[in-house]
Amino acid sequence: MDTNTIDFKRERLGYYKVLVGLLLLTAVTFIQPHLFMVESTFLAQMAIAVVKAWLIIMYYMHLKGDNLIGVMGLFSLIIVAVFFIIVIGFDVANFQYGAESHITGPASAGVENTAPAHH
Amino acid sequence: MSHEYIPEIAVDRDGNEHEVQGWQDDFYGGKLGFWLFMFTEVLMFGAMFMVLAYYNTLHPNEFIEASASLNRLLGGINTVILLVSALTMGLGLLKMRVGDVKGAKLMIWATILLAVAFLIIKGFEWTAEYNHGIFLMHGEMLPESGMAFGKKLFFGMYFSMTGLHGVHIIIGIGLMIWLLKRINAGKVSPEHHILYWNIALYWDIVHLIWVFVFPYYYMIGAGGVTGGH
Repeated sequence: MDTNTIDFKRERLGYYKVLVGLLLLTAVTFIQPHLFMVESTFLAQMAIAVVKAWLIIMYYMHLKGDNLIGVMGLFSLIIVAVFFIIVIGFDVANFQYGAESHITGPASAGVENTAPAHH
Repeated sequence: MSHEYIPEIAVDRDGNEHEVQGWQDDFYGGKLGFWLFMFTEVLMFGAMFMVLAYYNTLHPNEFIEASASLNRLLGGINTVILLVSALTMGLGLLKMRVGDVKGAKLMIWATILLAVAFLIIKGFEWTAEYNHGIFLMHGEMLPESGMAFGKKLFFGMYFSMTGLHGVHIIIGIGLMIWLLKRINAGKVSPEHHILYWNIALYWDIVHLIWVFVFPYYYMIGAGGVTGGH
């Protein structure tokens, strides 16, 4: 990626373009709860964050065109996703001490969501 | 400890000496190693986000109520500050690569100032929350207080994650000061700038984490108490 042939003006323009894109997306972050997907704010906010993250990773972190690190990153993310979502997710969904835990207990027992007097 | 670059010499069977490529010239290896480190950062914050998401599923309405009480203006200003600081860091690296060392140093100083501004604003925010009785093991957050348990979980995670992120900002400031010293000592130059490249990557990952921290904590309650999920 880094070579001695650097087109300073072109790369600087790229940085400014990404800045404008990120600023626009930040503005969308603020107006979204009042403008669109108002019943799905969480999903909309995370979707905007993913687009912002993609811009940062590809252009500010120079991953665009760097296939080896890109593939490594993707591979790592898939492994992490498998462990977090499938393995841990399955475990948490079948948490056998849910009623005894002071975190999951109140919600699962359907009582008032307040902390117990002693931890 | 000296940081002078001393090339490794290999001698062949005929007694001829050959310079082995050292780490300063191994640009790709240095970058790859730092990406591996950044994956560990993603794992750490990713685990915290998973905990946050799990608590969120247990107490969705309380999470929205707690989020609505955060100061979105200050959070938004900090978002823009980090965004601009990522630009100054990137432009500084670009200037270094084309040989403008003075311009690169100016950009590092600008990034440091923006990072300090971020911490000051975060300090104001935390102080206001503390004065409202919301802080780890204090006031409303104590076990015997009447605050809803879901809100305690939300604020507990909020202070933990924004605090850990703040620690990363402080480490970033330290790294940038160290980078300035290395540039002044001639150890980082347009020809050997992998340290600058990796510290810029570090600053980008700090920015990247905030890109997810900000909407999760500040924005999910922006649509009102009934909406958002």
